[in-house]
Amino acid sequence: MNPTDPSNPQLPPPIPPPLTPAPLPPNAGLGVLLDSLLKQPSRLVHELHQAKNSRYLLLLALVALAGFACYGVVIGTFSGGEQLFAAPLKVSLGSLATVLICLPSLYIFACLTGAEVSLRGLAGVLVATLALNALLLLGFAPVAWVFSQSTESVAFIGALHLILWLISLAFGLRLLRLFMDILRVSDRVHVRVWTAIFILVSLQMTTALRPIVGKSEHWLPTEKKFFLAHWAENLFGTRD
Amino acid sequence: MQSLRRLLILCRGDSARIAPWLEERDPRWLLTCVIAITAGCALYGGVVGLWRAPVQAAYTAIKMPLLIFLTCSGNALLNGMLAQILGSGLSFRQSAQAILMSFTIAALILASLSPVALFILYNAPPLGSAARSTGHSITLLSDVLFIAYAGFVANRRLLRLLQHLCPTPAAARRVFWSWLAGNLFLGAQLSWILRPFIGSPGLPVQFLRDHPLRGNFYEAVFNALRHLLS
Repeated sequence: MNPTDPSNPQLPPPIPPPLTPAPLPPNAGLGVLLDSLLKQPSRLVHELHQAKNSRYLLLLALVALAGFACYGVVIGTFSGGEQLFAAPLKVSLGSLATVLICLPSLYIFACLTGAEVSLRGLAGVLVATLALNALLLLGFAPVAWVFSQSTESVAFIGALHLILWLISLAFGLRLLRLFMDILRVSDRVHVRVWTAIFILVSLQMTTALRPIVGKSEHWLPTEKKFFLAHWAENLFGTRD
Repeated sequence: MQSLRRLLILCRGDSARIAPWLEERDPRWLLTCVIAITAGCALYGGVVGLWRAPVQAAYTAIKMPLLIFLTCSGNALLNGMLAQILGSGLSFRQSAQAILMSFTIAALILASLSPVALFILYNAPPLGSAARSTGHSITLLSDVLFIAYAGFVANRRLLRLLQHLCPTPAAARRVFWSWLAGNLFLGAQLSWILRPFIGSPGLPVQFLRDHPLRGNFYEAVFNALRHLLS
């Protein structure tokens, strides 16, 4: 039997060619960046992986912050008043804080997969994930606004924002998967564990910065609480 | 920079590149591991103890790396002998270095999770609140999960390294399980002696509890089981 014969069942499947998408044009502007974020994310992820400079990272961070702030205004319209300023600030700065909390573990967990990554490249991909998350939330903003004007239930509007955020994040996290594809990482258990940590930290951030949807006398909570207890309180009216 | 690069390679678990480090006589890599364990465990330990009191944070920051070094040194002779008896072909120095490298991975994972642990701590009901037992339980549970994960990953890496170094996979498994059993047995008792790490809400802040050598971990587990079943 010819060992090089591809029909030989004893041979492992052939290694696919390296995933090297076409690079972005040099000094690509914001338009090109957003275009590739939506249409050709693998190009952008590959560019961020190369991590030649921090320009794309900063631009994407601005997109993410601005996107979350705009969506925060929509969240604020439910309660109006000072929540119109507080909600955008809390949503955008909360997202930034989540990135800062989770980036060190993402770097070590990515190393545990065996991938050769740079901190800058990984930060770029994480920020791109959030930028895509924020852009999709902006797409959902009209829907969220309609519901926020037609209901008075904090629990309902809170659950709606949560569902929309989770859908957007699921699309955003595809960039991280693409990044792992480019790096040819097969053992992704650690990245999945990190994703669970990231989601839990994000959910807790919404409780740590409450109220984001409803009204309160204070900008920040005076009582420390975990998000499950906070949700139970809002859904069933229980106090712990 | 060379040391940092090595730590990243260690995390990646590239056994082919890691194995030659065990042949080196230069103590710099050993020192790097010691520094990484000290810094990583002290950082995480500091966060763990912070829920009880800043002084407890300082104590736990000292005790966590100490627990690892005492376990390694206490079992160094036994682990070296087991490695040779069970046919790994590793010397005493190489055995100690391999175990120290696996603890280094655990320390790096714990250090990277320190911001998350700090965030959990920030959100946990504080000691002065009515829900302080909830705060203690949440801190305890998250720490157990993080330490268990770090330990699991570090041991998987150690097994992979042994499989690369030992003449047969069976020898690698024998050496790995014997090391793990010995380290868990001594480590559990040392952690009992060095308690408290988090600090119970109703007990004072102390570096060691009064009469730390009285009783042992296994007796306490046995008594707890007997109490539960009686």
